[in-house]
Amino acid sequence: MTGFMKNKLILFCICLVSLFLCRDGHVDAKKAVISDETVICLQCHSKQGVVFRFHNGETLSVYVNTDEYRMSVHNFLGCPDCHRGFSVDKHPKRRFRSRKQYKLQASLICRRCHKNDEIASKPIHASLLAEEKKGRSPVCADCHGAHSVMPVTGGKIFISEKKYCMGCHEYELDLTFKNGEHLLLKTDASALARSVHNKLGCSDCHYGFSSEDHPERKFRSMRDYSIASSDTCKRCHFDKYTKTEEGVHCAELNKGNINAPVCTDCHGSHAITRIRDKRTLIVKRCRNCHREIYEIYSKSVHGSALLIDANQDVPVCIDCHKAHDIGNPLTLVYREQIPEMCANCHANRLVMDKYGLSTDVVKSYLSDFHGITLGFYKKQRRMLDKPGRQIAVCTDCHGTHNIVSTRGVDIKELKAKLVKRCRKCHENVTGNFPDAWLSHYEPGIRKAPLVFLVNLFYKIFIPLMIAGLVLQIVLHIWRYIINR
Amino acid sequence: MNDIRDEKIRRFSNYRIIEHWVLLITFIILVLTGLSQKFYYLAVSQWFILRIGGIDSLRYVHHYTALVFLSLVTVHVIVAVSGIVFKKWRPSMVITGKDFTDAADNIKYYIGMKDHPAACDRYNYKQKFEYWVVLMGAIVMIASGLVLWFPVFATQFLPGEIIPVAKVLHSNEALLIFLIIAIWHIYNAIFSPEVFPLDTSIFTGYISRERMISEHPLELERMEGTDTGERGADIGVDGIEAKS
Repeated sequence: MTGFMKNKLILFCICLVSLFLCRDGHVDAKKAVISDETVICLQCHSKQGVVFRFHNGETLSVYVNTDEYRMSVHNFLGCPDCHRGFSVDKHPKRRFRSRKQYKLQASLICRRCHKNDEIASKPIHASLLAEEKKGRSPVCADCHGAHSVMPVTGGKIFISEKKYCMGCHEYELDLTFKNGEHLLLKTDASALARSVHNKLGCSDCHYGFSSEDHPERKFRSMRDYSIASSDTCKRCHFDKYTKTEEGVHCAELNKGNINAPVCTDCHGSHAITRIRDKRTLIVKRCRNCHREIYEIYSKSVHGSALLIDANQDVPVCIDCHKAHDIGNPLTLVYREQIPEMCANCHANRLVMDKYGLSTDVVKSYLSDFHGITLGFYKKQRRMLDKPGRQIAVCTDCHGTHNIVSTRGVDIKELKAKLVKRCRKCHENVTGNFPDAWLSHYEPGIRKAPLVFLVNLFYKIFIPLMIAGLVLQIVLHIWRYIINR
Repeated sequence: MNDIRDEKIRRFSNYRIIEHWVLLITFIILVLTGLSQKFYYLAVSQWFILRIGGIDSLRYVHHYTALVFLSLVTVHVIVAVSGIVFKKWRPSMVITGKDFTDAADNIKYYIGMKDHPAACDRYNYKQKFEYWVVLMGAIVMIASGLVLWFPVFATQFLPGEIIPVAKVLHSNEALLIFLIIAIWHIYNAIFSPEVFPLDTSIFTGYISRERMISEHPLELERMEGTDTGERGADIGVDGIEAKS
């Protein structure tokens, strides 16, 4: 027996065994040996840069990655087994209209071995076969690859749904929308494992999909897909969903603005993490759309502390605007809540002591004209259903996204700025006007001495006066009783 | 004795009666709408303010009642000054040295160091005290109230601190006047044994001869005495007509 014959025999045996194993779903790819004929083919086809030109001008690289081929489940097949008509001697010239036509033709090669009955036993294929009946033929290589056909299942029984799905979705599958956009269906298993949803199965979110069912969904665009997909979140997070329905983003979406963010735009999809603890991340998420405001915020006393010093005490977007039930900040109702928002931190001694800030600022506002009035407007809204007028709150003097520290600022400069803020409501006020507000200070002998002294005078005078008068009354009654 | 109790002597003209009514009504409204703002945190104030229809409605009522009060005080001062200057009215409300000795004498009488109270003229020292407290208080209230009502205008001439000063003045003076009226005036006009259940003279315009003898002997003496010149001046002040 010549060496050549011996090789042929071994190859034949291997093929037999492989086929047998393959039927049972067991393939040990690495042990296969490449036939001499294939080696000859690969002499040319393992070189990069050789292309096939289609009739319509498209090209296809005829390069075959030898390593991938060696690892593939079909490594026991020689080139002519699939590429019929080709051999060491023959290399017929073929003509194809387009790349697509070629791929469809190529799929027929697979179907020579993989009969419809066999294919249909996998639900994912069942739907594809149904499509084929409608005239849309599937291209096997789109999912499975051509020369690199991998064991999709590895021949194992899946221990979880996730593994089953990942059997395909760890590959660069691609979804094409009606408008031509593409979505990579490849899912990063490691990101999934790190996400907060790592205990969930695929179909928990992708409902309707299972090892039996893989319905085809049709979306006009990637955005339509995202909006539709985010609907799945409400199945568990219904509380957040109802909150979102009250928010401006949902309202925008309902108005037809498809760019309004949905769950996944802020939270991500497969790589969802607990965003609550990552305050910088929150700000960055909002920046995706609200870039201008981000720029202003990043320069403010709060924003710069967060972004430069990674300070976790400062407010981020959602602390004032909320995360889900984001209200319109230009309404009176929102305005009325502003002092409370500021008070969340500025009346909290634990936080303010760290920065040497007074916690009396909220109290001093609430007990002054504007604060008292605001308090009543809130009550009126609640109890009389009678909204108040616009009245100065914290942000009217301090600003909103652009709040800066008043420390080290020249007092004259500060007053000049304040006059402008006063003029928003009180037209034509003079430079004297801002002094009407004691800048959150309690009147004292140093700060607003006149206010302090007048108050002190009355504090002493009123009790003395009343005591004197009561004493006279008592004496008068006493005298009257004695005289009787 | 019966006749001196029944005999009525005219004490106040109709102008004074109306003046007192207007003052009484405006005062009550101003106190209710004012003190509920001063003590805004009390449940009763909040109930009242919401009952009125909210803080803006309350301030509206307070401001326009204050305008009536302002007019009343202005007319009062003009009438008093012009009466004294042009009609030679007796300045019976002016505080004199006798008022201080009267007060001291009265205290002595109360504690038993004297056997009769001070003999007073048309207005005794208690009434004068009350009058001047209210008049001066009214001026403070009107001035500080106007500053608070028109802060932008006020700060065109005055420093900004005038606003919080006006606020503490207005707020404290209001409390002072309220307490003086509620304690001193209500005692003297209602609960004092001499007048209980009510001193009706400011409402009817008449006072009994008995009370004139005990409370305003000097005035009675002058009214019925020989000095007709002085008595004439008195009639001028308050339109007194002795009813015999």
